[in-house]
Amino acid sequence: MINIVIGVVSLSGTIGLFFCAKLLYKKYRSPFTLPILTTTIIIVSVLLIASVPYSVYMIGGKWLDHLLGPVVVALGYPLYKQWTILKKYIGPLLIGVSGGAIFGVASGVLLAKVFQFDELIYYSIASKSVTTPVSMDIAKTMGGAPSLAAAFVMMAGIGGAVLGPTFLKLAKVKHPVARGIGMGTASHAIGTSRAMENSELEGAVSTVAMTVSAIIVAVITPLMIRLLL
Amino acid sequence: MNIFKISLHITLLYCFYLIGVWIQTTFNLFIPGSIIGMLLFFLLLATNVLKDSWIETGTKTLLNHMPLLFVPVTVGIINYLGFFSGKGLLLVFIVILSTAIVMISAGWLALLLLKGKVDTHD
Repeated sequence: MINIVIGVVSLSGTIGLFFCAKLLYKKYRSPFTLPILTTTIIIVSVLLIASVPYSVYMIGGKWLDHLLGPVVVALGYPLYKQWTILKKYIGPLLIGVSGGAIFGVASGVLLAKVFQFDELIYYSIASKSVTTPVSMDIAKTMGGAPSLAAAFVMMAGIGGAVLGPTFLKLAKVKHPVARGIGMGTASHAIGTSRAMENSELEGAVSTVAMTVSAIIVAVITPLMIRLLL
Repeated sequence: MNIFKISLHITLLYCFYLIGVWIQTTFNLFIPGSIIGMLLFFLLLATNVLKDSWIETGTKTLLNHMPLLFVPVTVGIINYLGFFSGKGLLLVFIVILSTAIVMISAGWLALLLLKGKVDTHD
């Protein structure tokens, strides 16, 4: 009984806070006011101050976990909706995304290895370029920590949304299709919403790239980790 | 009516997820079951076996609120805060550097293949 009460409080608190965070984001739009970031920071602070263990918060939180599988399935829908883009740019998409995915997994894992981080970090950082639910699933399959994976995904997303346009400018990537492929492959949904601000084409290509990247990274990560470690 | 429709659509998505997980465990694959479910879902939509209207409302609702679903997991970072103190700050640098590598390599490879192709820009 007490568990149900705790669950309802933590879950309704989470949902309520998230919708307030959404309102804030609407007013002050920036990668640093993303609802997922502000909500997480507030909840973590509250739990730390009130010294509530994570396991207690998760009594309610884990109810939302059941939707993580279906939401990955749902990602097939925008891919299907952008069928014309997918068909038209299939070559650049497949080659660009595959190359980016390979360099991404390799550079993340190898840099963590060079700086002698914990093994748990390798398995959690490998899939940082892809959308959170997929990245968490990959980390879980590999023996990494889904929470760490989610944190790395957020850094890659925010970092890419803020610095991505500068990276692309320095690298002289001006073509909207190539830019969309870069943003979507490196910074998933957060990068995609930044790409949408530039042009509709860039945003649409980025949407396709992030989904294709999720599939490719899910397939290559276990193989590459075996190769690299 | 709408709530009913949304629940029905999400239940359908859940079935795809379960089928994906079943395929993964049965054939002992290393690809997450959710991804297998997504590919199946995409294939059935692309081949018109599954109609837009059967899944659209629920799928859109779920995708619109997607980040909310991660909050409990991201809050889990509370158990790993130690990883980000001291030397751990290097991890932020590693992720940003690796993100730049991904973005530029993907962009350049795409440019290579886009060259020669006339940009119709539609």
